[in-house]
Amino acid sequence: MSVLFVQSHSGGPGTVFEAAAQSGDLAIVRERELTPAHVERADGLITTIHLDQIGWLGFAAAVQRLLGRGGRWVFNGHMLRPFLPGLAVYMPLITPKRDDFTLTRLADHPVFAGVDQQKLAKNRGVAGFYGRGHNPMPAGGSAINGIGPSLYPIDWEWAPPGGGRLLIHAGNEFWGCGDDPALKTQLAERAIAWAGGRI
Amino acid sequence: MSILAIHPGAYYHIESFETPRFAGYFDRLARPEELDRLRLDHFAAVLIPCRTPGDRLAPHAGRLRDYLDRGGTVVVTGESEFSQFLPGITFTSQPTNWWWWLEPGGDLGVRIAQPGHGLFRRLAERDLTWHLHGWFDVPDGAEVLAVNGEGKPILYIDEVTTAGRMVVTSLDPFFHHGSHFMPATTRFLDGFLPWMREALDHKENP
Repeated sequence: MSVLFVQSHSGGPGTVFEAAAQSGDLAIVRERELTPAHVERADGLITTIHLDQIGWLGFAAAVQRLLGRGGRWVFNGHMLRPFLPGLAVYMPLITPKRDDFTLTRLADHPVFAGVDQQKLAKNRGVAGFYGRGHNPMPAGGSAINGIGPSLYPIDWEWAPPGGGRLLIHAGNEFWGCGDDPALKTQLAERAIAWAGGRI
Repeated sequence: MSILAIHPGAYYHIESFETPRFAGYFDRLARPEELDRLRLDHFAAVLIPCRTPGDRLAPHAGRLRDYLDRGGTVVVTGESEFSQFLPGITFTSQPTNWWWWLEPGGDLGVRIAQPGHGLFRRLAERDLTWHLHGWFDVPDGAEVLAVNGEGKPILYIDEVTTAGRMVVTSLDPFFHHGSHFMPATTRFLDGFLPWMREALDHKENP
C-alpha cells in the first residue's frame, strides 16, 4: 500500500518519515501542493497536528473513497472539523491537574504493542504533551489508551461502516512524545507500517 | 476600521479565532489563499497567527508590503516563517526550554523592556513567560517591548522598515492557547487582544 504523509508545517516531517520516503514506503506532500489526486493514489494517510482542517474538508470525499477501498488514516490532534459521519468535536480536559494526565493502556494495538505508555506521559518531566483531552470515540470504536481517572479515550481505532480504519490520537504526534529517541523512532515506523496495512 | 485575521485552519487557529473567548477581536477571518481577493486597505490591522506556513503567505508578500507602505499595520506571532512574507525581519531561533519552571529558582528570563508602553497596562512579565523559540535583530529605530534572558528582542514594533507598522513577536500564544496548553498564553491574549483593538484598530500610532 502507498502511504501519503500530509506535511502541513514547515521544518520537515522528521528523519524516520524522510527515510521512509527515500525507500519508497511513503509519499510526503506539502499541504499547499496537495490535490485530491494525491489522496486518490494513496491507500494510507498520516496527518499531523498542523493539518489545515478547514482545507481538509475539501478532501473528505477522496478520504472516504480511500477508506472505502480498505485504506487507513492516522490522525493526530484535536478534531475541530469532524471530517466523516461518526466523528465529533474534540473535548478538552477542564482545568486539569497532574493526575488528570495519567495514561492507561486499555487494549492491545499493533502500534503500541510492548510500549510502556508511561514513557510517553512526560517530556523532561512535564506532563500534557501527549494530550489534554480526547476526540469522542464513535460507537464501535476500540479504545487503546485512556487519559486521567475517567479513562477518556485519547487513542482509539475505528472501522467506519463504509470501510477502512482510523487511528485517532488526540494530542501531539504520539511518535514525538516522551524522552526516549529509540521509542520515538519505533512509534514513527509503526505509524507508517500501520497506515500501510503492514501491521 | 476593523481587524482581519489570517486563518490557516489548524485546530489551534480554529480554537483561538472561532470560539467565544477571543472571536470578537477579529472582524474578518480570511484564509491565506484569499489574500489576493481582499482589499487590505479596508482593515486597520492584519493579524498573522503563530505557525502560519510561510509557503501559504509567500505568494502574497508583495500585497502585504503594499499594504504596509500605505500605512497599514501587521501583527505577527511566533513560529511563523516571517521573512517569507514580511520585510525586514531577522530571526534567530534558540533551544526551547519548557521545563525551566521545574528547576530550583527557575527564571526563563523574559523581561519587559518598555514598562511605560500601553500594552503593559494589560500584561505583566508572567503573562509573557511560557517558553522561548528565538529572538530578533531589530532595525534601528524599532521599539523593543520585551527581551529574553540575554536581552535580545522577542517583541517589538517596527515603524521604520515601511511606512506602516509591524508588531512582531517570537512568542507563540495562539498555538498554545488553542491547544489548551500553558495558561500564560491565554493570559497573554487576554491582555494583548484588547490592546490590539484599542491601540491598533485605527491608522494613527498608539
